[in-house]
Amino acid sequence: MIRFRNLAVGLLLPLVAVVVFAVLLTFSLTRMLEVENAMRVGAEKNMLWVFHQSEVAASRFTETAALIDLGEAEPDELALRFDILKSRVAILNDGPQRRFVEEIGHDDELDRIAAALEAMTPVVADYSPGDGARLREALKPAPAFFGRAANKAMIAEWNDLGGRLETYRAQLRQIILFLIGIMAAGGILAATLAVALRQAHQRNLMLRRSQDFSALLVSSSGEGILAVDREGRCTLWNDAMAGLIGTSAEQATGRPLAELAGFFGIAPLQAGVARALDGDSSELVQHPLFRHEATEPRYVDLRFFPMRNDGEVIGAILFLHDATDRHVAQKREAEDRDRLEELVAERTRDLDEALRRERSAADLYRNFAAMVSHQFRTPLAVADSALQRLIRRGPRVEPDEVVERANRARNAIAGLTRLVESTLDVARLDAGQLGARRVRCALTDIVRTVCTRQREADPTRRIRIFEPEDESDAVFCDPAHAEQMLENLLSNTFKYAPAGSPVSVRVHGDREDLLCDVHNEGDPIPEEERDLIFNRNYRGANSTGSAGTGLGLFMARTLARMQGGDLTLQPGGDGVTFRMRLPRFDPGTA
Amino acid sequence: MQTGTVRAAAALMLIAGAALAGQDDVILEVTGDISDGKVALDREALKALPETTLETSTVVTDGTHSFTGFLMRDLLKDLGAEGERVIASALNEYVVEIPMTDFTEFDVIVAYSMDGEPLQRNDKGPLWIVYPRDEHEALQDIRYDYRWVWQLSRLEVQ
Repeated sequence: MIRFRNLAVGLLLPLVAVVVFAVLLTFSLTRMLEVENAMRVGAEKNMLWVFHQSEVAASRFTETAALIDLGEAEPDELALRFDILKSRVAILNDGPQRRFVEEIGHDDELDRIAAALEAMTPVVADYSPGDGARLREALKPAPAFFGRAANKAMIAEWNDLGGRLETYRAQLRQIILFLIGIMAAGGILAATLAVALRQAHQRNLMLRRSQDFSALLVSSSGEGILAVDREGRCTLWNDAMAGLIGTSAEQATGRPLAELAGFFGIAPLQAGVARALDGDSSELVQHPLFRHEATEPRYVDLRFFPMRNDGEVIGAILFLHDATDRHVAQKREAEDRDRLEELVAERTRDLDEALRRERSAADLYRNFAAMVSHQFRTPLAVADSALQRLIRRGPRVEPDEVVERANRARNAIAGLTRLVESTLDVARLDAGQLGARRVRCALTDIVRTVCTRQREADPTRRIRIFEPEDESDAVFCDPAHAEQMLENLLSNTFKYAPAGSPVSVRVHGDREDLLCDVHNEGDPIPEEERDLIFNRNYRGANSTGSAGTGLGLFMARTLARMQGGDLTLQPGGDGVTFRMRLPRFDPGTA
Repeated sequence: MQTGTVRAAAALMLIAGAALAGQDDVILEVTGDISDGKVALDREALKALPETTLETSTVVTDGTHSFTGFLMRDLLKDLGAEGERVIASALNEYVVEIPMTDFTEFDVIVAYSMDGEPLQRNDKGPLWIVYPRDEHEALQDIRYDYRWVWQLSRLEVQ
């Protein structure tokens, strides 16, 4: 309702006022033009003067006609007076004058006078004395006619003038009324204008206040805010932005964005601004911002929005939020997580290792049990049978036989002891108790010692030793481990060599390591077993019927690797060659 | 130069005409501030002036008429008139004062014939001052209408 009233007052009223204004103005102008026209056209008739002139002309003629009879005038003067009178009558007979005479009803009299004048013409032209009286008699009615006509003319003209003045007054009164209407309409328009101006002023004031408020919001915002126009020129640059970029608002305003800082020239930012100018919002999270004076970048979140006016994009606005603290916190969190994961992995590895050891221990026991059931039975049976024979034979037994049986039993027991020892060695190895105490030692000495011990244990064994000539035989290893490796190797080599065939041990070297090749003439190891024979508890296809734990080669290789060396099976079909490799002694590293 | 010669010839003829004319033939007397003080002109002398024709309506007749005569300013110039106004008198003692500017601003003629017929003394002749009423709105005014002197007989330059 109020809205409707406002509309009526604000729009309808001035509209009506304008229409009224225009209509009244048109009417007034038309009326005034009419008055102006009427005044021009109506001011021409002057019949009173015409009749007066005519009457004067008639009087002068009559007078001259009288004087000529008295001899006081000439015929020329009479002719002149007659012509003047005739011209007056001619004027009266001309269009407008004739119509007026007809209006006042004296046309008959005028015609009679004109006829009389025509009749007089020859008399005047050819004047002879005594004609004057006739002429005066003929023209007698004329002055009376002109007097009456003048009388009527005066009345008619005054009536006409009065009527015309009355019409003018009426028209002027109308014009005055119109003018009052125009003034009223003008007043309404002026009032409406004043109201509109006041409202506009108030709206301006409100607009300015809201602008000030917006400017305050922008300038006091902690976020950097900037705006660009369609050409990419900066139109707004608040204090926070100045702080972040290091360029003041005065320097920034009006310049292209890319000129202000290299940061604004990079592709993602250009793309964001371009998209905003196309009408799409977008954002960039934790973008690094390098500044000239600072080596550490700030990290900022960027949001791009289009600025619209009546649906048309007139520019873009960009918010810059300093997210460095968040970035640092996130980075620290990620680092903490990585460290934790590493710790967990380490613990898991330890646990896996422990589990593996546990499992190998279990395996060891299981294998040990299997081995015991398999390997220990035979020597135990040998010892048992030797001792049973001795008991059965009792006093009848020969001393030699006692010695022989006892030795057989002892050998079996010694074999058992070795089995136990090697098993225990592997157990210690698994438990990590078998540390290598590496020192400088001479490999040839170790080879000789082990070979001598082998020969003593079984005099039937033939071993040929090839030693290097003029070469340092110093290696860097634990001598006890080296002896054990060699012993394992030699035992293994003899075990699988044809009975009575020789075994060779050859010491040689290259630049970094000393090598010890142990060779027998046995059957080559099948291709598919070559990698498996170094595995724990693996026993080859040809090992059936011989005693063994399947631990010898595994133990030897493990020990070799503990010294920084290795144990490998050499390729080739001529017998079987194991190569033990140990690092040379280097005074620099020891 | 040529116009000047023509004018000089016309002036000579005017004076010659005036000298030759008998008293009865004189139709216009010019007096006052002119070269010869007083000149009497007959029809022949006036016809010697450059002829001009004007189409206009009048307030005393219906319709428009063609008036033939000479320009008032031509006559006054030939007579060496120097003044601010001309007092024109008619045969019936009608006297009216006409400012000289009328003749310079408007092509006011002194007509001796209307619609090809010579103006007669018993009508509006022999001479009638005619304003170009239809050409100028300013002339459609009673203050100009009374300057249309017919039966013109005398001019006095002041």
